[in-house]
This record gives sequence, C-alpha cells and structure tokens, in this order.
Amino acid sequence: MSRVALLLAVAALACKPPESPAAKYLRDPEAVNRGRLIFVGTCGAYCHSTHDVERDAPSLFDCEWKHGGSDTEIFASISNGIPNTRMPAWKGALPQGDEDIWKVIAYLRSASECKH
Amino acid sequence: MIKHGFARGIALALVWGLAAAGAAAESKEAPAEIQLPPVPTHWKAEKPVGTSAGPVTPEMLNAPTTPPDRWIQYGGNYRNFRHSPLKSLTPESVKKLSVAWAFPTGTTGQFEASPVVYGGVMYVTSSYNRLFALDAKTGELLWRYDHKNGENLRLCCGPPNRGVAISGDLVIMGTLDAHLIAFQRKTGEIAWNVEVASYTAGYSITSAPLIVGELAIIGVAGGEYGVRGFFDAYDVKTGKKVWRHYTVPGKGEPGVESWAGDSYLRGGSPAWTYGAYDPETDTLFWTTGNPAPDWDGDGRAGDNLYSDSLLALEPKTGKMKWYFQFTPHDVWDYDGNTQLFLVDAKYEGKPRKLIVQANRNGFYYVLDRNDGKFLHASPYLEQVNWATIDATGRPVVNPDALPKEDAKFRTCPSNLGGMNGSFTGALNPDLGLAFIPSSEACQVFTKGIGAFKEGLPYLGGLPDTVDATAGKAYGNLAAIDVTTGKIKWRYRDDRPMMGGVLSTAGGVVISGNLEGEVLALDAKTGKVVWRFRSGGGLRSQPIAYQLDGRTYVAVPTGSFSTMDSFAAGVTKVPEGGTLFVFALPK
Repeated sequence: MSRVALLLAVAALACKPPESPAAKYLRDPEAVNRGRLIFVGTCGAYCHSTHDVERDAPSLFDCEWKHGGSDTEIFASISNGIPNTRMPAWKGALPQGDEDIWKVIAYLRSASECKH
Repeated sequence: MIKHGFARGIALALVWGLAAAGAAAESKEAPAEIQLPPVPTHWKAEKPVGTSAGPVTPEMLNAPTTPPDRWIQYGGNYRNFRHSPLKSLTPESVKKLSVAWAFPTGTTGQFEASPVVYGGVMYVTSSYNRLFALDAKTGELLWRYDHKNGENLRLCCGPPNRGVAISGDLVIMGTLDAHLIAFQRKTGEIAWNVEVASYTAGYSITSAPLIVGELAIIGVAGGEYGVRGFFDAYDVKTGKKVWRHYTVPGKGEPGVESWAGDSYLRGGSPAWTYGAYDPETDTLFWTTGNPAPDWDGDGRAGDNLYSDSLLALEPKTGKMKWYFQFTPHDVWDYDGNTQLFLVDAKYEGKPRKLIVQANRNGFYYVLDRNDGKFLHASPYLEQVNWATIDATGRPVVNPDALPKEDAKFRTCPSNLGGMNGSFTGALNPDLGLAFIPSSEACQVFTKGIGAFKEGLPYLGGLPDTVDATAGKAYGNLAAIDVTTGKIKWRYRDDRPMMGGVLSTAGGVVISGNLEGEVLALDAKTGKVVWRFRSGGGLRSQPIAYQLDGRTYVAVPTGSFSTMDSFAAGVTKVPEGGTLFVFALPK
C-alpha cells in the first residue's frame, strides 16, 4: 500500500463517526427486546402506538423524525422531552438510565419500516 | 351583563402593520413593539343574576325528587338516577324538540359536563376549565371564568371537566391542575381557591364535586402516574380541608399487607369520579380506580386494597364503614369508579336497600348498601372473557386474559370498559330499568417494563387496541333490570357509546353517539324516536329542566379525537365544544 493510500485509509477511519450505543444494541436481540418492553411499558399505551399509527403522539416506526433522526438526536428527544408537547423528559427515569434509552432506540430501529 | 377591566384593542394589530411599514420606509428603524392588552380570563356579572332563588340548602339536595325548574346535582339526585320528573318529555313529544339556543365553548377536547341549572341560570364547564353562567332560557352569557391551568398538565386521557357542584350561593369547580375553586353564583366572584394537590406530581381533577351537608367532596385522578389516590372534604363556606381519605393504606395501616414490598407508595387507585349519598343512614359512597402500574402487577403482588373498590364512609369524618373490591389485583385498568345507583327495591321478594353498578370490568353488580354484602353479578356486555364471578363476588380470572410480554389473546372488555366513569347512565324507577351506555371492544394486553418517576406516566404495559384499529369496536345502550341484571333491550351503535344518559318520567332516554347524533329512545323498547345531528361527538351528561312552563333539554357536544381514536379507531369528526339546548314548543 502506498503512503498516500494509507493516509487516505487512516483519514477515512478518523472521519467515520463513532458507533452509537443504539447501533451496538441493534445487534443484541436481548437488548432490542428490553427496548421493546420499555417502549411497551412506558411509551406505548396512551401516547405512541406500537404500530406505525399516528395518534396524539407521532408514529415512531416510519423513519420520519420531527426533531432529528440520528441516534444522538433521538436520544436527546427522549432524554430532554419536547417543549410544548406532551413528551416529557425521561432522563434518569428508566431503570438502567441512559442505556435503557439507547435500547429503546435500538428497538425503534429494528421495528421500523422506512417508506423512503 | 358582563364587565371586564380591559380596553378593547383588537384593531391594534392592523394599526401596527400599517405604522410599521411607514416608519421602516422613512427611518429604517425597527418599529417599537406594540403591547396588546392581556386576554381577559374572568368576566363578572354587572349585576347579580339568579336572584329569583335563595341559597341551595341541604334539604333541597336531600329531596328524592328535584323540582323540574332546576338540576342541582351531577347525578340528578343523591341516588344518581339522572331521572327528570318531567312527564312532558315523551316518546311522542321529543319529536317536536327544536334548538332554542346554542353556545360554543371555544375549546377543544371532551365536553363532558353535566350542566347545573338553578334560579334560571345554567352553570356549565368546558374542557380546560372554562366556567360559563348562562341564562337558561335564552343562552345569554352572564359571567365567565377561564381557569389558567398550569403548564405541562399531567393528564392521562384528555382535558375534560364534568361540571360544578352548587351549595348555598356558591358554585364549585375542580381543575386540571388540581385546584378547587368556589364562585359566587350570582356574580362570578371567586370566593375561595385551594390547591388540592400538586399537579406536577401527577394529580388532576376532572369530576364535579359532591355536596353533603356543609362539605364539598372531591377526588383526584392520577392512576396512570403512580400517585397515592385520595378524596377530600372541604368546608363549602371557607374552602378549609376537613378530612382526606387515602385510597391506598400507608405503612402499618390495615390493607397495606395487600401490596408487595413498598409498592403501596405509588399504588395509584385514584378517586376521579363522583360518589353517592344516602341521607337515611348518613353514608357516603365513593369509588376507586386502578392500581399502578396499570398493566404489570408483578411488583405489587396481592389484592392491592383499596383499588377498584366501593367504599362506604361516614361523611363527617371520612372514616370507612365497609368496602367491596370489584377487581382485586387489577392488571387491565378496570377502574371501579363507574356510576353508583342507590335503589330501594324488592330483592328476591323482600324490600332491600341496594347499591348497584355497571362496573368497567363488564359485570353488573348488586350489593346491600347497608353492609356491602354481595348479592349478584352478571355480564351486561356482549363480550366478557377476562373472568367469571364466584358466589362471594370475587372474580375467577381467565389466565389467558392476563397481560403477557408476547400477548396474543383478545381480552374483553377493553381497558376503557364496558362502562366508564367519564360518562353516566340513568335509572327509571317506575320501569325498574337502568340505562347503561358502553363500549364493546376487546384488546390484547401486553406487559412491559414500567419506570416510576414522580410526575411521569407509570403504566407497565399497554392495551393493544386491536378491535378499535380494525374498526370492530361498537357500542350499546342497554336497559338493565335493576335487581336481576337481565337485559331488557339494547340499542346498538356503530361506534362505542361514550355519552351520558338522561331519563325522563315521560318515558324517554336521551343520549348520543360519537358520530355526533343526539338520540332519544323509547325507555320501554329502546326504539330511537328522534335524532339530531350536532356535528360533535357526544361525551357529555344531558339534563332537562322546565322554566315558565317550557321544557328544555341541554346537551353539551364535542369529543376528544385522541380518545375517540383509542376507543373506536381514527375518526373524522372534528373537536370543538358546543352546547345545544332544545325546547318543546310553547
């Protein structure tokens, strides 16, 4: 490998964003299932549907995100809530803290059907 | 008739636009910001209204039959019959009803109120706690109060209010941010305003208060937030709290052993609806809702007293005489707080003082109201499969119906019931029939992981609304024999029936549906004899009254699309509250 190619490869690696915890959990069926159970037990009764259905709260399974669709942005939405909506801040509220939020995101990714 | 202290400044916005354009062209300076006057929230009467009548007394409230010129209790009378003595409203005459006047609330969300009429004035509350005093004959607005609820309300199921109580010269309203406010009925002046609980902890109030003697009794919602449920009694004159009855026992108290570990600390069991009162035995009856979290009972093993129960109490002290629990260790959200009827009737050949209820869990119960003895339970719905009831009144649960992580079983009824505490039935004592609206829908109850944090939803699972989503949810208005529970007739509607009911001595039942039709039915047969398309789904509690010889029927209309969708599938019916008042010809 030439020196230029090596530099390009290193640069590419350096530019690649670090993998989010959600992406890591996406490969772990147990973590995805825990994310599902938290969603079922905490988010999906009167607010978000567990199906791709719009209720009072938006569907979270259509890959369309009103407040940013990266893992980090979704993490922020769940952690901090959405002002002037019924979405509360969940930071510090789940049994395993931030890890549970990442597992919920992993579950949403696993169960979504992107239309675009 | 109305006064308020703000100059009218509506034209300012237009003036601002013109002035700003000119000023910017000449000087390029930013225009000064124009301050619009704050929006008024309280319009008092210019001169006293409703002066033809004196203070509302305990004797008036105790009367078994209320005179036709008034409607002074949510339940019509202490027995909650919602049965007007008017014989002028018959299956024939209701066909001649026409709109006398209408009134918009200017709010969205369920318009669930039962209006109060007294002294020729109607007091009606809207969603988000607007309170209007209206001329009951003409609809003229006499005074108005718009409550400024706190931000980020903790509501499970929308922003309704079901009405005021009236006592002395005060009308009293509970609020979504858990205040109780008393108003001078003649002027709209606030007499007192107390905080019942901190709403940020998950509490809210949607019910009308119940007046017993000098006390206003009110309970809280919050079963979906893991609150500790309670109901309070306040001195009507001063607003001072007289007693509080917690519906979940504290450490060391009887019943706490029915909660595993420290689960009682966030046990829910709210008292969010209206009670009943028996003046003969001076007994207050109140009911309680679901234990928290709703759909995961693993952490709260035991019967979870006193959730989903009927409590009999001393009204002066709040001390409990006896209780009956309908759904021990509830994991479906089958709140025990649907409407209570106090019935004196022959039961198995002997005169007996009964208390009956069409419970949210799908069973119609008959108890002895002197001691709480269980007498009878039978399904009043077409679909009930979560349990059967044994000879003691305790459910024998179908294990298939329990919430599971990978649930598939369609459990009936849905978590909303059957009947639901957000709407009323009625009872015609002459016919011995109770008229019960209900939802016929099943759900798949899934268990998940619920996380408790004060002020956040604490649910533990969810009811998958499979029937509603598939368009299979429907409704019935059933006439039930009061003592046997047998169904005399059913009116079936395409969507769940979630509006309250009025009965009349003339033999009519008045209610409505989610499609926005006000319906009048023949009380003996269930045949629909009159329809009026109001445009707004019916979630309210209709009333009737007579003034200057003319008969009126008041029906608030307007529903909450989120709950409609949850109960019945997506709806095209728009929100928006309108009160319709119909009248028979002069």
